Formats: sequence, structure tokens, C-alpha cells
Amino acid sequence: MPKLKLPKPPVPDALVPRAKRPGTTGKTRPLDVAKESGISAIDWVDERTSLAGAARWMMFRKIPKGTNWFYTLGSATLFAFLSQTVTGVFLAMYYIPDTAGGAYESVRYITNEVFLGEFVRGMHKWGSSVMIILVMLHMARTFFFGAYKYPRELNWVIGVVLLILTYVMGFTGYLLPFDQRSYWATVVGVNINGTGPLVGPYLNDFMRAGPDFTQSTLARFYSIHMMLVPGILAALIGAHLYLVAKMGTTAPPWMKPEKKGDVDREGA
Amino acid sequence: MNRAEREAYLREYSILKAQGKPFFPYAVAKDSLMAVVVMIVIILMSLILGAELGPKADPTTTTYTPRPEWYYYYLFEVLRVIKPPELTPLATIGVPTICMILLFLLPFYDRNPERRPERRPVATVAGIVTIFAIGYLTYMGAEAGSPNEIELETPERIEAQGGEVLASFEAGRIVTAQSGCLACHKIGSNGGTIGPDLTDVGERLPAQAIARTLQNPTAPMPSYDSLQANQPEQFEALVDFLSLLREDSE
Amino acid sequence: MADRRKQKSTKSRYTEDRGMPGAFEGETVTRRRMMTGTAHAAGGIAAAAFILPSVGFALGPVFEEVEQSWEPVGPPEDFPDDTYVPKVITLVDGIGETGKTTVYIRTYNPDIDTEPRDEYNAWIALSTRCMHLGCPVRFVAASERFICPCHGGVYGITGEVTGGPPVRPLDRFYTRERNGQVEVGPRYSVNSELERFSPRDPGQPLDGIGPYVYPSRPTIRKLPE
Repeated sequence: MPKLKLPKPPVPDALVPRAKRPGTTGKTRPLDVAKESGISAIDWVDERTSLAGAARWMMFRKIPKGTNWFYTLGSATLFAFLSQTVTGVFLAMYYIPDTAGGAYESVRYITNEVFLGEFVRGMHKWGSSVMIILVMLHMARTFFFGAYKYPRELNWVIGVVLLILTYVMGFTGYLLPFDQRSYWATVVGVNINGTGPLVGPYLNDFMRAGPDFTQSTLARFYSIHMMLVPGILAALIGAHLYLVAKMGTTAPPWMKPEKKGDVDREGA
Repeated sequence: MNRAEREAYLREYSILKAQGKPFFPYAVAKDSLMAVVVMIVIILMSLILGAELGPKADPTTTTYTPRPEWYYYYLFEVLRVIKPPELTPLATIGVPTICMILLFLLPFYDRNPERRPERRPVATVAGIVTIFAIGYLTYMGAEAGSPNEIELETPERIEAQGGEVLASFEAGRIVTAQSGCLACHKIGSNGGTIGPDLTDVGERLPAQAIARTLQNPTAPMPSYDSLQANQPEQFEALVDFLSLLREDSE
Repeated sequence: MADRRKQKSTKSRYTEDRGMPGAFEGETVTRRRMMTGTAHAAGGIAAAAFILPSVGFALGPVFEEVEQSWEPVGPPEDFPDDTYVPKVITLVDGIGETGKTTVYIRTYNPDIDTEPRDEYNAWIALSTRCMHLGCPVRFVAASERFICPCHGGVYGITGEVTGGPPVRPLDRFYTRERNGQVEVGPRYSVNSELERFSPRDPGQPLDGIGPYVYPSRPTIRKLPE
């Protein structure tokens, strides 16, 4: 076979020698290097990851005309989730999932003894309520604006899964302080699952790790609340956001495009 | 939505998008301000309401009244209002599952291409009804009291009489709460619906008739004969309290 | 090219009909197909190797029978036959208060108890878990009713449902006498005829098709009759 002569591949942008800026001398002084250090650090990362394009695609995409404050509910939910994640991770540093008294004692210790303990636990506790409200409001907005319709059906389905998982977080989370309300709400919640025909009884034994409430029950709920559900939540939030960026946020349903076509070119 | 409608939507949306503004910084600024508001709310709630820790979990209790977190109140209320035992699985699993499926499949059965809320009245009304239903059930769930406690303000006419009448009213309130009447009967804003409402029973029956009914009730109501025999003063207090209940008791 | 044609002619119809260029005699799968299959199979096996043991590990307790014990609660004369005495027993060892529960105990009373006497019911021991969804019921002596504070369940003196949403009478515990002490043993569930069933969770009816819709579990069984 005759050898094909391929053209030389183009030099990557980062390797093209840059022209000097007008007004500078040929030498680069240490001060100049220091001044440019931020940019060169980003350049260094971008040369090795090509993330700049993705960041530009995400941040400088156009959002349609008429976008208003109702459209901040989703990101507000995301923010509440981040707040829950961070406060939760730090609460886990003091919490002991021990049914023989350790769990309640550790939460009492967090609340009464640890510096800022009650504040951080309060943020986590009330953050859950705020997150539920925001999820509901976000869903109501999506519903009344018809934003779940073509081509965003899949994102609605992911959103419903996120809503359910948020409720699961609430349910598994409030066993952890191990006070009366925690215990009895968990008993009732588990028994509600048990009323599922055929699988219910086995599902209950799985959730409790046995026919009665034991040490393993609390450990199970702790693991689900700390790792399993937050992991799934984070992954699905990623998918949810990707689809939002890909499909674009909806315009308010009453918004009509301007006839003249005076398109704002900024960032297009 | 048929093909033409989809195309029309995508075309219109692309124009709207082109006439819009970049996400950063226009939308991000609003989002960040909203995030600040969210954090202020969370921090204020944490500072003002604190992180209450109830009494330690006690599986041996027979006096605790379990209640869920407020955002489960509407599900809790569904369990309370669906009374017949045959329908219990419907209340626990059936209704929530059906609602969840309806929610999941919403974009697949709502094929109306129209998006303006005022032009799709069925969906909008259904949404508003759902919100009110959840709100109402949440309120009812929050109001549900313990069957060991009578939530009833002492009526003014009894306050005015003072002295013995007031004392017997207050004593009777405690005995009545402890006697389990609220399991089946409603008194004030609290109690079951198995038996008749007792909020104004004093108007309908004189004291002797109440005492007679307590001793010789019609099934399934239990007889309070043994209470009368063993602790007559408690029985008296019970009868006195019930006979003092009038329409204005709330 | 000529070489190829010669090779081709030596192949059987079996191989030739598959139309794979450059196939050896007897070859039925292309190399690409083989590699695709390998990628799926090996990936699947590797993933299953960590998923299956983990799931099995989490599911283990569902198939393991939990040992039930008998616990003395006091001499027979402690328990009258017209009202209940609450006693605290331990269901799960090693977790302190959390493993305990309260049972209401009274002596068998032929006037109100309808089930036949046998070796296990000289004393009637009722569980304090509401059979609607498991809230703690309270016995009110004045009205001779068990009252649930959650969703409005009410039970009569033998634990039968007299009102509200509970699906079956209160669960019971086996009782017996040993060394002058009343002992409380494993739990069992009853239907509205007070027939014994392996313990079920609250909310699971046992009348009609109930026992089939909510089967008993390997973890906890009633005593053999």
C-alpha cells in the first residue's frame, strides 16, 4: 500500500509563541510573572483539561427573555442542598450511631457542649424544612408555567425522583437524634412500608435488619442518610442541571418573541 | 403535542433564547441574591428556633403521643381520616403510590401544547386544588391533639361563676381526659369520631341522664360502672364536667 | 487478491454464509463482536463481583431467624383477671432501654376470653404496639379500652378492635409458669377469631386473604402448636 502523507497536526493554542504586548520590553520581570500568575494557573489547568469550553457553555449560555425571580427557586434548592451537605458532614464528626444511649448522648453533646453546636445542628434541622419548601415551590413553578412539557419531560421525571429522595432524607434523618419523636416516627414509617402487599414484610425486615428495632437499624438509617441517598441525590442533581443547560430554561409562558428581531448579541 | 407543534415551540424558543441575556452574570446575580436570602432564613430559624432535642427514645412508653415532622403532616392526616380497617393499606401505600405515579407521568398524560396557566384551566385548577388539599391536610394534621388531653378553653360563664363550679369543671376535665373518652368522642377541637360529639352534651342531656348512659351505655361504648363503684368522686367529676358542656364551649 | 479468492473457495457454506471478510473455516463470530462481548461480560462480572456480595451482606438479616427468649415478670398473684398490669420486658439484648417494650398482662378470665385454654395462655399478655402502624397504646382502666394516640385506634379488654383503623387485634405474647414465676415468651399475632399466627408487623391484616398477602417471615415464627 502506498504510504499516505498526512499533514502536520496543528500546534495546540497553548504552545503557539505569544507576541509581545506593545510597550513591554523583551524581558519578563518577576513582577510581571507574579501579576499574571492567576491567568497562567488557569491556562495551565485548561491546557491539560480543556475545561474552558465547558465552563463557557454552562455560564455564558443564553437564558430566554423574561426570566424572572421565579426561576431562582431551583438554584435556591441546590444551595439549600449544599448547605445541608456541609453541615451534615460536620455533624457526622461528632455523631455516634449507637442505640444504647450513645446516639442521643452525642446529639445532646453537639447541642449543649460543642462550640456553635446548636447553631450548626439548627441549620441542618431547619435547612431540611427550607429545602422541602423550596422543592415544592420549584415544582409548583414548573407545573404552572408548563415547563415540564416537550422537550423537558425527562427532567420532570428526574425532578420527581429528587423530590421523593428529599423526603427520604427527611425520614431517615430524623431517626438520628434518637429522641422520642425520632423513634416513634421511624416505627410508624417502617410499618407503613410493611403494608405493601407480599414484599412489605420482607422489606421491613430489611430496613430494620431483623424483626425488631436493633443497633443495626440505626446504623442502616445512618448509612442511608449519610451516603446512599446523598450520593444518588448528587448524581441526579448533576443530571438535572445538565439537562437544564442542554435544553435551556423555559421562558415564562406568556412571553412572546419580539417581531423586529433586535437580537442582543452579547455573549452569543 | 404533534410534530408541527413541537417544531413551532422549538422555533419560538430559540428566538426567545436569542433575545435573552447570558446566564452569567444576569441570572447568576439573581440566583446568588436568592441564595443569600435562603441562608438568612436558615440561619435566623436556627438562631431563633434552635435545635430542640426531645426526651430520649423510650420504646416502653405508653403515654407519648408520636407526631411526625411538619412536612409529613398531610400524609399523617390521610392515615387519620381513612378510618375503616379494610382501607388501611389504601391509606398507607395506595394513596401515596397513586399520587406518586400521577406525578411521575404528568408530562405523558398532559399532552396539551398550551403552556399559559390561564389557557389550560383543567391543569391549573387541578394544581391549585392539590395545593389547597395539601395545605388543608397539613393544617388538620398539625391540629390533631392527643387523646389524653382536652383542648377546650374554660367558657366565660364558668369562669364567671368561679369557686366550686370552676373547680369541678377543671377537675372533671382531667378525669375525662384520663378516662379515655376522647378515643371515641370529640370534645372541643380534639377527639375521635367513633361516638357522638360531646362538645355540647350538657345541653342535650341532664346530669342524671349522662350518669345513666355512662353506667348502662349502648355497645360498643364500655360501661363506667366499675369507676362509679371504685372511685365515686372521679365518676362525679366526670358527670359534672360533661353536664357543664354547652354550645359555647370551644 | 487471487490468494483470497482461493481461500474463500475452500470454506464451507456454514462459514461463507455469514459473510465475514477474512474468516477462517468454522469461524462464526467476528473479532469485533467477540471483543464487544468480552467488554460486556467482563464488565458485568467485575461489577457483579462487588455488587452481589454487598447486597447479600445487607440482605442477610432478612433470612436469619432471631432467637426468642422467655423472661420472668413476677409471681402469678401479681396479675388480676379483670384489669391489666404493665410489665417491661427485653426484646433485644445489649442495647439498653431501646431493646425493651411494655406488655400488659392479666390472668385468663373465662368470662371474657373466648379462645380455648392451652399451655400458653394462662395469662394474657398483650403487646403495646398499635396494630394500625405501631404507635404505643395505653390501657385506660376506667373505660377498659386500649387507646392509640396516633390515628384514632381503640381496642377492647381482650385487645379486639372496637374502633378506628387498626387491622387486627393487639399482638400477644406466649406465657407460662416456671419456678413460681409467670414468664413471657415470644410474640405472636392473632386474627379477629384470636387464632394464632406467626408475628406480623402492624398494618398487616390476618383475616380472609390477609395471611397470604402478608406472608410470615423467616426471621420470626410462632411456637409450633
